[in-house]
Amino acid sequence: MNNEIIVVAELSDNRLLPVTYELIAFARALAAGDSAPVRMIVPGRETHAVARDLADETGLDIIALVGDPLAFYNAETWMTAMAARLAVRKPRYICIAHTSRGCDFAPGLAVRLGASCITAVEGFSRQDGAARFVRKIFNGKIKMDVTPERDTTVLTVLPGAFKAEQKSPRAHLAGSMEVLKIPDHPQKIRTLGVIPAEEQDLDLALADVIVSAGRGIGAEENLELIRRLAGLFSKSAMGCSRTVCDLGWLGYKHQIGLTGKTVAPKLYIACGISGAVQHIAGMRGSKMVVAVNKDPRAAIFQIADIGIVEDLMTFIPLVMDA
Amino acid sequence: MQNSLNMKILVCVKQVLDADGPVRIDASGKWIEEAPAARFRMSRFDEFALEEALRIREGFPGTRIDALSAGPARAAQTVRRALEMGADDGIHLFLDDERYRMPFEIASLIGAYASDRHYDLILAGVMAEDDMQGQVGPMVAEILEYPWATAVMSQKLHKTGDGPDASGTIYVERELEGGLREAFELTLPALLTIQSGINRPRYPALSHVLRARSQALITIPTSRPGETDPVSFPAPRERIQSLEEPAPMKTGVILSGSPSEKAEKLRQILQERAFL
Repeated sequence: MNNEIIVVAELSDNRLLPVTYELIAFARALAAGDSAPVRMIVPGRETHAVARDLADETGLDIIALVGDPLAFYNAETWMTAMAARLAVRKPRYICIAHTSRGCDFAPGLAVRLGASCITAVEGFSRQDGAARFVRKIFNGKIKMDVTPERDTTVLTVLPGAFKAEQKSPRAHLAGSMEVLKIPDHPQKIRTLGVIPAEEQDLDLALADVIVSAGRGIGAEENLELIRRLAGLFSKSAMGCSRTVCDLGWLGYKHQIGLTGKTVAPKLYIACGISGAVQHIAGMRGSKMVVAVNKDPRAAIFQIADIGIVEDLMTFIPLVMDA
Repeated sequence: MQNSLNMKILVCVKQVLDADGPVRIDASGKWIEEAPAARFRMSRFDEFALEEALRIREGFPGTRIDALSAGPARAAQTVRRALEMGADDGIHLFLDDERYRMPFEIASLIGAYASDRHYDLILAGVMAEDDMQGQVGPMVAEILEYPWATAVMSQKLHKTGDGPDASGTIYVERELEGGLREAFELTLPALLTIQSGINRPRYPALSHVLRARSQALITIPTSRPGETDPVSFPAPRERIQSLEEPAPMKTGVILSGSPSEKAEKLRQILQERAFL
């Protein structure tokens, strides 16, 4: 076993997603304890140029996994291409973004490598030299510290949990680059392509104030109250948690979170939102957060600037009349 | 009848503690306390998976749906709930204690159970509501060497032939960030994890509730690593070191006072910051 840390880059249209830089910061912090080497894998049809830039910019050694089968994401090709190379390298950690695609292939990759698997990692600590990974359960109400038992561990790291390093003028040597061509086409999964998002509007992106509803509002008709609260502010918009969309109370274009929109308004008012990590990932950048929830243990209070433990149905009218 | 094919679907359902009530850490510090008033129910994500299976059966009469849950004695209620919703058979992989199991342990049990049963399709929720790992589904697929897709928002099945000559594909759209989706065609047998919101899970019909009441569950014993039951555990690959309630807010304040005093304070703060 060696102590190498592998970071798997995620690209969209042959461009690195910002979360990749967060993964690099995470991997470097993880490496620091035992000065482990960090290496990156950049999969895609023609990632040579991206990989070259990354090697120059970060000083990390890069493996570009290239070839026509990697033109589009496909769980089977990603898995097969990576597992073969990783089985030989036997790295200590494999860091993957906790994105839709990362979550799609990471657990299977862990099984194929006989590795430990820890998902939605938000941080780590060290105890007696061993890293303990931190993740949340029960909608963020409880923090869980997990340690791997195997020599290799697959980690998915939550976007936004680790700050990317400031890009510094490069004082270090450029990293090396290795190109590996992947010939194997998938046998069981055929990629048919990306389908664009349906109606998009810019209300959420442009709003100074977002008033957001969670399942804690209790019933669809209570949305009217949330809407009236939003009406108090100029340049405001209505957002919601995933559950509110799943219940059909609001359309998915209002959804804020990991799989919905990422917003950073001046003021975010969370009404009846529990504060699951999936939601917080979409609104962490808000300048000021006000949370109203009748459950004093709701995770949303951990990130709120102003917390109010009250029933929304009685509290909002009081705010309107105050 | 053109669609009458004998397909077999397995739906994996998990029993979770209803987190709307209090969630407290148990004496061991490694899992959640089962307070006497604790309510357990099917993970909502798995309700979407089961509903999707029921809809497939409506399109392909003759399909059989097995619902499976791995859990302690109380998990039988969740298997029964699946029968009430309309599953044909209920399977309980019986765990003889209430200890939390890691996803790979559960995936190995389910994989061992399903390995010689030739399911055409296996469905599960995108994650469980309690531990939120999202691992069991794709792990079961990899163990069985099935292709898979996670976070599925829409599916359409194409099946031809029957019995050993059966073949088929399933078209899926899986959810990406920012409202995008990506489409794939998977060769059957395959496994999908179903994203919430794909459908509206039904309430049990009275006829199914009555049938479920008298139907026996299939209970399969499971054993510890190294023992010889057909369905046995592997050694865990991760260990929970501790659970903790997150520290209270770092920078924020909780407003105090009567409801109207809090409302007044909030308005004041919003005015000071020029939001109002």
